[in-house]
Amino acid sequence: MSDPPKGPRVILEDDQPQIAPRLDFGWDQAVVPVVPPNPPSRWSGFGRAAAGVVVLGLGLGALEAANFTAAQFTRGAVQGWLTLGVVVAGFGLIASAGWAELRGLLSIRAVDRARAAFARGDLEAARSEALRWAGGMAEAAPLQPALRQVGSIAELRALLEAGPLAGLETQANALGRAAAVQAFAVTAISPSPGLDALVFAWRGVRLVRQVAALHGLRPGLAGTVALLRRTVFDAAAVAATDIAVDAAARALLSNKLLEQFAGEAAAGALAARRMLRLARVAAEACRITPPR
Amino acid sequence: MASLTDPLGLLRDAAMGAEQLGRGLLGQERIRLAVTGLTRAGKTVFLTSLLANLLAAGQGRRTLPALEAAAGGRLRGVRLVPAGIESLPRFDVAAHLAALAADPPAWPGRTEDLSTLELTLEVERRSWLGGLLGSRSITLELLDYPGEWLLDLPMLSQDFAEWSAATLQRLRRGPRAEAARDFLAFVDALPAGTPDDEALARRGFILYRDALRHCRDRLGLRFLQPGRVLNPGPRGEAPILWFFPLPHPEGSGLAMLLARRHAAYVADQRDNFFEPYFRRFQRQAVLVDVLGALHAGQEAFEDTAEALAAIAAALRYGGSWLDRLTGAGVDRAAFVATKADHVPGRQRDALAALLGALVAAPQNRAEGAGAATAVHAIAAIRCTEDDVVTLEGRPVAAVRGVLLRDGRSARIYPGEVPLRPPEPGFWDHGFFEMPEFQPPRLDAQGVSGVPHLGLDSLLAWLIGDLL
Repeated sequence: MSDPPKGPRVILEDDQPQIAPRLDFGWDQAVVPVVPPNPPSRWSGFGRAAAGVVVLGLGLGALEAANFTAAQFTRGAVQGWLTLGVVVAGFGLIASAGWAELRGLLSIRAVDRARAAFARGDLEAARSEALRWAGGMAEAAPLQPALRQVGSIAELRALLEAGPLAGLETQANALGRAAAVQAFAVTAISPSPGLDALVFAWRGVRLVRQVAALHGLRPGLAGTVALLRRTVFDAAAVAATDIAVDAAARALLSNKLLEQFAGEAAAGALAARRMLRLARVAAEACRITPPR
Repeated sequence: MASLTDPLGLLRDAAMGAEQLGRGLLGQERIRLAVTGLTRAGKTVFLTSLLANLLAAGQGRRTLPALEAAAGGRLRGVRLVPAGIESLPRFDVAAHLAALAADPPAWPGRTEDLSTLELTLEVERRSWLGGLLGSRSITLELLDYPGEWLLDLPMLSQDFAEWSAATLQRLRRGPRAEAARDFLAFVDALPAGTPDDEALARRGFILYRDALRHCRDRLGLRFLQPGRVLNPGPRGEAPILWFFPLPHPEGSGLAMLLARRHAAYVADQRDNFFEPYFRRFQRQAVLVDVLGALHAGQEAFEDTAEALAAIAAALRYGGSWLDRLTGAGVDRAAFVATKADHVPGRQRDALAALLGALVAAPQNRAEGAGAATAVHAIAAIRCTEDDVVTLEGRPVAAVRGVLLRDGRSARIYPGEVPLRPPEPGFWDHGFFEMPEFQPPRLDAQGVSGVPHLGLDSLLAWLIGDLL
């Protein structure tokens, strides 16, 4: 076998165009984050049963109402028009409630879109989401001209965080403090732990909805559930810490009287702290910028 | 190295060690990564790629899979530390990326001044219980500087007489003697006790500077001192630089004037460059353009090895009992052959092996001080793809890229890369300058990082254990 050629060489490619395009390794595509594929969404048995009940209830109700309205018209025009008015008003209210739920859910999806745009560094998409959000917020509306001028994602984010989002965070904290005081008071005077939990849950849901409203979201029932699902993991981590602290306190205090006193005070303080934390977590979930 | 003769330095080391320990306990570690490399080794491009790819990885892009694996998928974000009140310029990664992505593209020019940047890596804690304390923030400090200045490190331990003797001995050797012929004729004509005439001093300096420039630009040599004569930095040429080696460095007159300038220069470099930035670091990446040295000929290749050994001998790797007491010392040092995309894939192992032979002395010194060492071959920005050409009737592995100078596509056969320092017959083919390639198509915003070869493995080895 002969030796390899000695010395380096440059071989120009004559068959190639004079100005060759730059190499493209498809890097942008190669490094795209790998997201686990979404499991195919299938309706659970419970979901199908519930949908069936709704379809039957609304469908049969609508058919029944239509038949009844037609029968009323045979009795007389006045009865017919009155019945039609009642039916349209009733179904109209149901439809407007459904629309409000849908809008609430869509507004939460818009927050997701804005966050995704910030995360991937897509300035134009993030700007357009920020402008849409600012348009619906009294606190952020004056910022719109400045938002149109920004030249980078970092600037856009800084502008939002320094201005309206900082103000909203302060207000969310105030709401959290108010809820904390109420939770502490209720825990102190309530006669049973079961009632504690009920009051805490009700106040927590109300707090999440209040914070969401601050951020321009109007979550209905479905929207509130979606927000609660986001906050539940953080809240669970807080609860785990609380349990550890509580257990440590009880282990250290062997005196029965001290144990009783510390237990009651600790329970109230824990409830209050959870409310404060819940307000912060809910505010994080509603912000249009991703967490740092 | 910490010593009892430098109590202030010792106190500073102890304070920094205590700070490091406290930061570690709080999960707020600060790591100084010293990126050392001779001129044209690719420090600026390396830092640009490292920053772009780390920032992209922080956004979830899979730009550094080996580092992600080393971190166990717990890297949650990477962000630039906002500017504070630093007096040094910030390393402008956005401008470098924009220039590389522009049409026509431009590689970063010669680095003329120091610049720094800090990154914060947000990493989830390993344990569930630790997770309740929140994520860890690891701050990575990076510094860019002119590579020529690094060669001033060995000067710190030499007085003017020692430096003159060593420098003139090198200058009279091989092709340097021809490049420095005028300068050598000038200084050899100066008798002992020459008066301190400013005209003579300026003339000698200009001849010496021209000789150094010729050695750097035409011969590809690197061990050239003082560094600021070749790259004066933003302050330009000042009288402190106007000295040169003398055959009769003792005595009064011109010798005394040059000795004073030499001493002032060394003190200035120590106080303003080495002490603040190289006194203490935990991780080190030594970048070497092995292929460039190989193609520049035997003299340049041996000169590179000599320069690296001299720098390593002057660097502070720690290892003494005082260093251990104050927590000083380098944990890991990686020796890195840059521009590995200039050889086809199957020769990259040979490139790393050749670098291993080239840096045997610095590697031994680092290991002697207790640091772990490794050798890597990387391309901070990959500019070529593997190809095959037929030469002298046989197919050989080559690389294909787009030339920077005229935008034409070309295939390069880089020759055979030897596994160890080559035999004399290897150098027969003469000087070859690897053409510059255009960078590949890049996103100017750097959202997806930049294509590279082996950067992730290098970072995983250098800082993976800290994540």
